[in-house]
Amino acid sequence: MPPNRVEIVAPMPRTSSWSESMLKRLHDSVSPAGTGGIVGALVLVTTVTATLEVLKSFVDLPPIIITYLIPVLIAAIRWGFVPALVATVTGAACAAFFFYRPIHTFYVEDPARRLGILIFAVVAVVAAHLAVRMRREAENVRRREKEIGDLYAFSRRLAAGHSTADIFDAIQQHLAAVVGRKVALFEPRGPAGRPEPIGESDVPQDVRDAVAAVIAGKAEAAGMTVADDHGDLWLVHPVSSRTPDLGVVAIDLGSQTPESEKEIRARIEAMLADATSTIEQIGLAHAITEVRMRAESERFRDALIGSVSHELRTPLASILGAATVLCDAQAVAEEPRLAALANVVRDESERLNNEIQNLLDATRITGEALQPKLEWAEISDVVNTAVERRRGRFATHVIEVDLPSEVPLIQVDSVLIEKALGQILANAVKYSPAGSTIRIRGWREGRVLALAVSDEGAGLSAEDSARLGERFFRGRRHIQSTPGSGLGFWIANAFVAANGGAIEATSRGENKGTTMTIRLPIPANVEQLESIAGE
Amino acid sequence: MSDPAPNVLVVDDEVQIRRFLRSGFELDGYSVAEAENGREAIRAATLKPTDLIILDLALPDLDGSQVLERIRSWSNVPIIILSVKSSEMEKVRLFELGADDYVTKPFGMAELLARSKVVLRRKARATTGDSVVRIDRLKIDLAARNVFLDDERLTLTPKEYRLLQVLAQYPGNVVTHQELLKEIWGLPHINDTHYLRIVVRKLRQKIEADPNQPRILLTELGVGYRLAPPNEPAEPSTH
Repeated sequence: MPPNRVEIVAPMPRTSSWSESMLKRLHDSVSPAGTGGIVGALVLVTTVTATLEVLKSFVDLPPIIITYLIPVLIAAIRWGFVPALVATVTGAACAAFFFYRPIHTFYVEDPARRLGILIFAVVAVVAAHLAVRMRREAENVRRREKEIGDLYAFSRRLAAGHSTADIFDAIQQHLAAVVGRKVALFEPRGPAGRPEPIGESDVPQDVRDAVAAVIAGKAEAAGMTVADDHGDLWLVHPVSSRTPDLGVVAIDLGSQTPESEKEIRARIEAMLADATSTIEQIGLAHAITEVRMRAESERFRDALIGSVSHELRTPLASILGAATVLCDAQAVAEEPRLAALANVVRDESERLNNEIQNLLDATRITGEALQPKLEWAEISDVVNTAVERRRGRFATHVIEVDLPSEVPLIQVDSVLIEKALGQILANAVKYSPAGSTIRIRGWREGRVLALAVSDEGAGLSAEDSARLGERFFRGRRHIQSTPGSGLGFWIANAFVAANGGAIEATSRGENKGTTMTIRLPIPANVEQLESIAGE
Repeated sequence: MSDPAPNVLVVDDEVQIRRFLRSGFELDGYSVAEAENGREAIRAATLKPTDLIILDLALPDLDGSQVLERIRSWSNVPIIILSVKSSEMEKVRLFELGADDYVTKPFGMAELLARSKVVLRRKARATTGDSVVRIDRLKIDLAARNVFLDDERLTLTPKEYRLLQVLAQYPGNVVTHQELLKEIWGLPHINDTHYLRIVVRKLRQKIEADPNQPRILLTELGVGYRLAPPNEPAEPSTH
């Protein structure tokens, strides 16, 4: 190999960085893996020497020295630069010692061969350097590939996530996979209104305090590190450096030197930046803020309805009370025109009161305060109370009750079921002509107790049936003619569902009447309990 | 009303409520006193002869249930509670503190007058020491421990009789599930509501014309049971 080519091929980097990287590589080789590499290089050189020694007796091998490039390249690719350097030196030494005259000395007689060894050394070093770089590049490519794959999977999960919980789960798992340690993600406002960790709950109190500080905006956007009781370092960092609304991560970094902490922190920050930009791209940040605002406005609305209802009820109690006094007073009763007016005031206040009660019941449902108080109940008691409490309002209709004499007890919140049945009865009265009959029938269907309310009224169109369960839904045909808020059926449905039951609406068509059937489960042990109690 | 002018004490901080209650009661022949807070109510109940107290729960100084407890510590004057809250748990608590009845605001005057009549009659009966309670076709002789339906003697099990007996001590008044269970089965069974339901079912089959639509042994949903108001005495009252 002519020496001038060496000059061209050698990709000598800037000398300073070359020596720096050399030093770094030497530093790296002090590790146990580096020692293993040196031993490996020596073994390879020995193997090559032995093989050549054997071959020498059969064939003539003039360019012996080239063969030693094999261990050099293998050592460079497998173990790095220093083992390759060792292979180069020992290879050259072996060639001189075993194959160049005078044999078994390191002295080489032939000047051409001396030059050959020199060229070998230069080529070997350059080739080793190139091989090591290639290996590094390949590793980098592999790592990047994996990172990109992870990130891709991560963003796919982000994109597929419909709820905040999905998104947080994805971020947390991705971080844990990248860092390889405990990662806790905090939702800024958990169910209890304060930051709650998702998934990983084993988070020290100091770290929780730091999270609260970051969420409250008291810490800088770059986050902070906290040491826990075991001396482990935790990095507390908002997911997005712009707002803590997207959550805050707490990452257990273990024990770290200041330099390695800086490095790992940089990696996490880069990853979070990736995640945030993905999140922003798919409009998630916006979506999360919106969900939060909607939840807050819903809470606010319910609080408003609740307090307004109470505030309305107090004056209403005076109006209704006073109206009933007027209606029954001798002086008013003697003057029919006044009596009629007094009746209007009374009836309309009662209607207003019912609407307020509906609003209150609806707030109970959305306010998640609906916890049924289960007790053993006789269905006839529930039906009688529902009819009796509304006797005045139902006076325009004939109400027929047909319950079998032997029905098992059920375990329900009888007050909720009574309210549900009352709503259904009120609807039946509202949407069927005065003087018509409303039938309440009960029967047993295996482990289910069914209670059906049938009217002879307007019935349901196909569209009505489909939309019946919606809050504030009212059949289009009645919006003009019949007053109401459309809350009734929605409330009934929620109350029955809270007791493990369901309501089914059936109609043979418009103007052919409606049947609403409430189905409630019969507890498995009821017969046994009844026979014990009967003794 | 047998008594010419029963005295009713109306306790409510809302002047409008007091105003219509005064008119309503006066038109029905009561004489009315008013109190606008708890302390005033306790003072009025101590100083003036009072036959009935209408007590609002939300008072500015004391809680209505505290007023109830204080008055109950020295008097068994009938007390009807008024409240905007309609929670059954609240009702149970107040009945057990000694409330005679509970009316949810808003309410009609006729309903309050009817309930007032019932609690007053209960008191009158208690003072005459009459041991026979007549409700519809049913006659309960508490002294002889006999129960008749249309003058035909009924055979009741001990638990059925005990249930009627406890309820007949305060006919027309609600007795809570817990109290009934404690009285009839004892403290360990205080939550076994199904015991009560089964005995009520059997008793209704004996005393009601239609057990599915009872007229005598009535259910107060989520709270307890009560007997329908006793029949008006056939002969004019002697006191």
